[in-house]
Amino acid sequence: MKFLQKTQFLFLILSLILASCSSDDDAAQSLDGENDLVIEFDNSFNGDDLLLGTSTYVNGNNETLTINRFNYIVSNFILIDAEGNEYVYPKDDSYFVVSEEEKMTEVTLKNIPAGEYVSMRFGVGVDQEKYLQGAAGQGDFLQVAEATNMMWSWQAGYKFLNFEGTFTSPEVATATDFKIHMGSHGSSLDNYKEVSVNLPTAALVSDALSPVVHFAVDANEVLDGNTKILLSEKAVVMVDEVKSPQIATNTTGMFRVDHVHNGEHGDH
Amino acid sequence: MKIYIIISLVLTMGYCAQAEVNPGQPINPENPFYKYDYEDCDFCGCGSTGGGMGYGTVGNENFVGLRYIYQSYKSRDGIFNNSPWVDEHFNTLQLWAKLPLTEKISLTALVPYQFHNREFEDGQTQNISGLGDVSLLAFYTLVKPKMDGMYANQQTKYKHSLEVGAGLKLPVGAYDRANNEGSVNPSFQVGTGSWDYIAALNYSVGYKNWGLGVMSTYTLKTENKKEYHFGDQFTYGVNLSKVYNTLKVDRIIPFVGLSGEVYQENESFGLSVPKTAGSVLFGRLGTEVSIKKISAGVNFMLPVTQNLNDGGVEARFRLGLHLNYTL
Repeated sequence: MKFLQKTQFLFLILSLILASCSSDDDAAQSLDGENDLVIEFDNSFNGDDLLLGTSTYVNGNNETLTINRFNYIVSNFILIDAEGNEYVYPKDDSYFVVSEEEKMTEVTLKNIPAGEYVSMRFGVGVDQEKYLQGAAGQGDFLQVAEATNMMWSWQAGYKFLNFEGTFTSPEVATATDFKIHMGSHGSSLDNYKEVSVNLPTAALVSDALSPVVHFAVDANEVLDGNTKILLSEKAVVMVDEVKSPQIATNTTGMFRVDHVHNGEHGDH
Repeated sequence: MKIYIIISLVLTMGYCAQAEVNPGQPINPENPFYKYDYEDCDFCGCGSTGGGMGYGTVGNENFVGLRYIYQSYKSRDGIFNNSPWVDEHFNTLQLWAKLPLTEKISLTALVPYQFHNREFEDGQTQNISGLGDVSLLAFYTLVKPKMDGMYANQQTKYKHSLEVGAGLKLPVGAYDRANNEGSVNPSFQVGTGSWDYIAALNYSVGYKNWGLGVMSTYTLKTENKKEYHFGDQFTYGVNLSKVYNTLKVDRIIPFVGLSGEVYQENESFGLSVPKTAGSVLFGRLGTEVSIKKISAGVNFMLPVTQNLNDGGVEARFRLGLHLNYTL
C-alpha cells in the first residue's frame, strides 16, 4: 500500500514535469505584414553615458575632453534576416542626422517587411552617388543637415561627423577648443564608410511586432580608435587628406548594438 | 522601511534575551525536528512567495498564517557605467497555509498580495500592486522521524525527515510587458503571467535541540500569453536552528543559514534576453517564537555574493515577518 502511494506520487510529479516540457521554442513563428523598426543611438564615451558640456572624459591618448557637440550622419540602411536575405531601405528616405545636442537619437525605418533580422549594414555619411544628385536630389535632408551644422557649404559638402569641445593634455595645459569635422570634401575625397553590425538578439518585425534596436555609440573611438588622433598635434581637423580618412575609419568603430527590444509598438 | 528593521532588531534582541533566561534544559523534551517548507523565492517581485523566505514555520507541521516580506533592490537604468540607479521596493503580504491531507501528504498554498514601487533618478515613481501568483504544492513524506519511546532501544539520536513536493504556480498576478522593456529590472512585475511547475525536495535532521534543514526547489517556468518567458529558477538553502523552551514562551527558535537562488535567462518571443540570468546567495538570520498555537517569526537576509542581470540588478536585503496559527 505504501509502495503504491509512493509510486502514485512519483508518477504525479513525473507527469507534471513531462507536461511542462512541451516545445515552446517558437521563435520562428510566422511573421506577417510590415511595421516600423526603430533604431536608438545611445551616445557614450568609453562606457560612460555621453553628457554634453558637463562631464570630462579622459581618453587613451592622455587627453581630457569636454564634449559640446556630437553629431553624425547615418544612411543607406540594409536589414539582413536569418536566411541572409537583404532588405534595402528606400534610398531616398535613408539619410538621418543623429545629434546629441538636438536630442535626435532615434531613427525610425518605416514599413519594414515582416522578418527576423539578425544583422544590419549602414553608411556613416553621404555616399557620392547621393551627393552627385545635386542639391535638388537631396530632398528634405539638406535642410536637416544645415540646421544641425552638418554642412560646410554645398560645394564642400556634408560633414559626416561634427565632434566639438575643449581639451587639455600634458602639452596643452589650458582648455583649448577642438573641432573634428569629417566629410567627403566635395567629390575629391570620399570618406563615406559602411558599417556592419550583428544584432545580439534577432529583431522581430510583423504586423504586431515593432522592435527597437538599441545602439551604444562610443564617441571615444573618433580619436582613440584604430588610429590615434592627437588633439595636441592638431586640434581642428576639417580638410585633411591624412587625418580625415583615418577619422572616417575610426568612426566606423563607434557602433555596437547593445540590445534589441522586441515587442508591440508603444511597449517600449 | 527603517521602522521595520528597527522593530525586527528589537524583536530579535528581545527574544534572544528571553532565551537566555533558560538556555539549557528544555522543559518539554520534545523532538526538535525542524524543517523547511516550501521555499520559492524570486528576486523579482513576481514570485509567489517572494524573497526566499519560505521558511515555513520552524517546528510544526500544519498551520495557517500571514507573512509580510520586504525586498530592497537597486537596478541600473541605462546601459552605461554611469547610468543612474533606481531604488526598488518589493512588498508582499501573503496568506499561507500548510494543511494535512493524509498522514503523509500535505498541501501548501500561498496567496500573495504584491505592492511594489520604484523611484527613478528624476524623482518619478512607479507603483504596481495586486493579487500575485498563487502557488499550490503537495508534499509527500518519504522519511518521517520516529517518536522516541520509553526504552533506549526505542530512541534515536538523529531524527531524519525527507519530503518531496510538486506543485503549480498559477498566473493570477498581472503581468505587464512594458515593465520588461528598457534596461531596468525585468522582474518588476506583480506576476509572471505564466503557468509554472514546481518540484521541491526538503531534508532535515534533528539532534537534541538542534535542527539542520536543507531544501531545494526547482521552478520550471513557461512562456506567458505575452510571449515572455521568465527563466527557470533553482532555489536552495540550509538552516541551522536551536530550540529553547522557557516558562513564559513555549519555544524560541533562533536560526541561521544560507539561501541561494539561480536564474536562467529569460526569453522574449522565443529569443533569449541577454543579461537576465544570474545568481545570488544570502546569509540569513531569524527567530521564531511560539506561544501555545501562535508562532511569530522574523527573518533577515543579506546578500553574501551576487551577480544578477550582469550586475544590472543588486539585491540589498530582505526582511520577513510572519504570524502563524498551528492547526
